[in-house]
Amino acid sequence: MNWFQAIHVKLLASDFLSLTVHNPPNNDPTFFRRGMQVWRLETVGVVVSKDRTGDFLKFVVDDGTGCIPCIIDLTDRSHLGLAAEVETERVLREAATVELGKLVRVRGKITQGEEGGLQLKVRDVGVEDDPNMEPLHWMDCIRLARSCYDRAAHP
Amino acid sequence: MMATSIIKPAVPVLLKEIESGSQFFKQGASLRVTGMLHAYSEDTAVAVIADANISFKINTVHLRDLSFRFGSYYQFIGELHILPEDVAILQARVGRIVDGLDPNLYNQSLQLRRQFESELVNS
Repeated sequence: MNWFQAIHVKLLASDFLSLTVHNPPNNDPTFFRRGMQVWRLETVGVVVSKDRTGDFLKFVVDDGTGCIPCIIDLTDRSHLGLAAEVETERVLREAATVELGKLVRVRGKITQGEEGGLQLKVRDVGVEDDPNMEPLHWMDCIRLARSCYDRAAHP
Repeated sequence: MMATSIIKPAVPVLLKEIESGSQFFKQGASLRVTGMLHAYSEDTAVAVIADANISFKINTVHLRDLSFRFGSYYQFIGELHILPEDVAILQARVGRIVDGLDPNLYNQSLQLRRQFESELVNS
């Protein structure tokens, strides 16, 4: 198993938006950063747009290098059992904290949106009250790219 | 196949970098600016922020749910509107209070990030 399947890689938005997409026939698209396959992403940035349509909350996070579209599935799955009920509750609470102008940390699965653009299917989102978390995230992205991600592709 | 985003990011800049002749001084440029609130007019919704002795005007008419406290640090994201005689104002889309932001951490991180981004582009 590739360990990176379980890891939310930290990338600057411009780095994320430059990922290469492979669209094998009859299979889900796969995503690569300079030869290294990635499945999940963690980003920190400011919410610059928010739109609720039906059971989906769509919002865009701007980290200054790019804008990442994020989507949260708010479908109520409580009827499936207690675990699903708790999960629905958690998702709704987190979604309620997403407001324009807030600094948020988002983790999710990299997917392709309807128009083919890259987006994040949100696993969890939280507001960062300490504004220093943002420059610290930039430093993490740079450090991880240089010491880990660049090397993972070409060991 | 490379995928791209439709929405333009707001480039973080220091107030001293927004002046006639700089690469950031373009009509409609999406910028993110940071500074301490020095003045605010409820009539015009214009706020003035300052950083390192440079002050800059922000049109906050579209902002909601943001309180204006003199002496607090703010970050605004919006588009640069250049008026005659190279006077500029930012038409803000979003704003937030960033009290507690370490200016050295922010400035140094921004410089390191710009360096990293240019390395990515050139590689």
